Amino acid sequence: MDFLSALINGLSSGGTYAIIALGYTMVYGIAKMLNFAHGDVIMVGGYTMFLTLMALGHPLVALAAATVFCVILGVTIERLAYRPLRGASPLAVLITAIGVSFLLQSLAQIIFGSSPKMLVQLQISGGITLGALSIDYSTLLTLAVTAVVMVVLSLFVKYSKTGRAMVAVSEDRDAALLMGVNTNAIIAITFAIGSALAAIAGYLMLCKAPSLSNTMGAMPGIKAFTAAVIGGIGSIPGAMLGGILLGVVESISYSVPALAPFTDAVEFSILILVLLVRPSGILGKMRREKV
Amino acid sequence: MNKMFVKILSLCLCLVLASGALVACGNKNDSYVIGLSGPLTGGASVYGTAVKNAAQLAVDEINAAGGLNGVNFTLLALDDQHDASKVATNYASMVDQGMHVSLGCVTSNPCLEFCTLSKADNVFFLTPSASANDVVKEDNAYQMCFADGNQGSVAADYVNGLGLTEIGIFYKSDDPYSQGIYEQFKANLNSSIKTVEALFTDANTSDFSAQIDTLKGCSFIFMPIYYTPASLFMTQAKGKVADNATYYGCDGFDGIESAEGFKIAEIPQKISMLSHFNSKATEGKAGDFIKKYTEKYGTETLNQFGAAAYDCVYAIYNAMKAAADAGENISPDMTASDLCEILKKQFNGGFSYSGATGENIKWQSSGFVDKTAIAYVIKEAN
Repeated sequence: MDFLSALINGLSSGGTYAIIALGYTMVYGIAKMLNFAHGDVIMVGGYTMFLTLMALGHPLVALAAATVFCVILGVTIERLAYRPLRGASPLAVLITAIGVSFLLQSLAQIIFGSSPKMLVQLQISGGITLGALSIDYSTLLTLAVTAVVMVVLSLFVKYSKTGRAMVAVSEDRDAALLMGVNTNAIIAITFAIGSALAAIAGYLMLCKAPSLSNTMGAMPGIKAFTAAVIGGIGSIPGAMLGGILLGVVESISYSVPALAPFTDAVEFSILILVLLVRPSGILGKMRREKV
Repeated sequence: MNKMFVKILSLCLCLVLASGALVACGNKNDSYVIGLSGPLTGGASVYGTAVKNAAQLAVDEINAAGGLNGVNFTLLALDDQHDASKVATNYASMVDQGMHVSLGCVTSNPCLEFCTLSKADNVFFLTPSASANDVVKEDNAYQMCFADGNQGSVAADYVNGLGLTEIGIFYKSDDPYSQGIYEQFKANLNSSIKTVEALFTDANTSDFSAQIDTLKGCSFIFMPIYYTPASLFMTQAKGKVADNATYYGCDGFDGIESAEGFKIAEIPQKISMLSHFNSKATEGKAGDFIKKYTEKYGTETLNQFGAAAYDCVYAIYNAMKAAADAGENISPDMTASDLCEILKKQFNGGFSYSGATGENIKWQSSGFVDKTAIAYVIKEAN
């Protein structure tokens, strides 16, 4: 039973990782860049929820406000920081992304201070009990949201015009441009979707753990990035799989006393193992890349 | 070298010699002067004020009862605003005014400075509340509070006495404070007590579901961590950890009731922390102290700092009295250094004291205190 409840916990935190990983993987797949500021967009979403809650008081209004603000923020970052560097060396873009990440963290620290804020209004407590097993409502919510997000996103990419344009840009940006796809707009839309997902992920994190700090997005961001690489970066089902896998491994490792102190090491070892066996991730496309 | 300079220099040297001669004449006071430096103003003033008030209370009581063989005590309390750079001035002023013995400083950082200064003159001090290990690194320094580094073993002694068969431990394995207390706690815990352990790393961890899952069956959870993650753990553990369970922390829990956004009243479990003073006591020596203190100063500054200061003054008085009774020559015109040697002999030689912060308190020659911890209840179970 302990194993089972660890598994369910893992599915829940894995779901959150998966939603964050989707943001990484979509941006990487389409814009071919690692947006390291993604985790910090979660944090900005968190603070937006905090401010809206103070002013209006309803969690869903707060979520909506955070989503809108994160979308605007994501598109603005893309427009101001990344678009001027399109065509520059990948290293320059990477460093810029890290710079944006620090900028957001520092701004939040200047505005809100460094001591964590409790946001108990968002907390969803209670749960259902099945025999000896109890499942939190927040866990169920996370799992449901994760499933819905994955289905909607897959359908969107496969069937909508914009979605197919995304695939086209991802496969060959120049060819897509020649076929009349507005690549800049497509990339901006990708950032918008990724940032909206970050706001949702922030909401799910705060439902479980109502603590808000300027670095709250850093570690989940790195874990989710790892998840995206494990699953095969650029692949939507891969991000889901990687996220869930990482969450489950984390939770089970925490529940085994001998492994508990080394949980982070265990998680990142999974990354190394997967990359040794399948260098492009579990569901990643095998292809030669010039580095 | 020009002549004027030589003249001024020699004049200065003469003055220095003369002042040295004055000091050497011994103490001009007709009472025993207890020096104290603490934050009487500024952000930490609640601690300094409590210590000053309580020490004054003890001094007044001792004097009213006839002092030490007819000689009264005087408390000399100076303000350092919890700023180590103000300690040297305060210390010099205390020496000028004939300090015999001291309570050191109220807070740790200033007290480290005080320790160095007082060692040079060999002035005995017993600090009520500066808890850093290094505060007592010199042989003239003693503590009334538990040293930071001893909390693990003191907490283990307390838990051993509870008669539990299984306890939970929740700690932060990459933090020297938490890991240090954890290791010492484990080393001193009875091997018959089974432990269920959960930990976290990384200061940004905020989702404790996995750890709560591990610990949810425990009725007593020892948490040697700071209050921010602790308050987060408690908030998330509502409805999972049994409502009648107890959370027990060390000094990292101090102030948890005022953590930002933390609704302590909504936590069903009992929250307690390692302490030496129960500020809700109604009987015993602690109860007596609380009654006397609140009659004179009200409840606003009633805290463990004051209780410890009250005990410090009495411990020093008792030790001086014990030494005088044993035939040592103690008088107000003796030097601080001579008195220090006498007091050191007492404190290192099995002297014991019972007061508001513990029964049968003894001291190790390292300066650390030996006494039994109590669980100070921050909040009872709902």
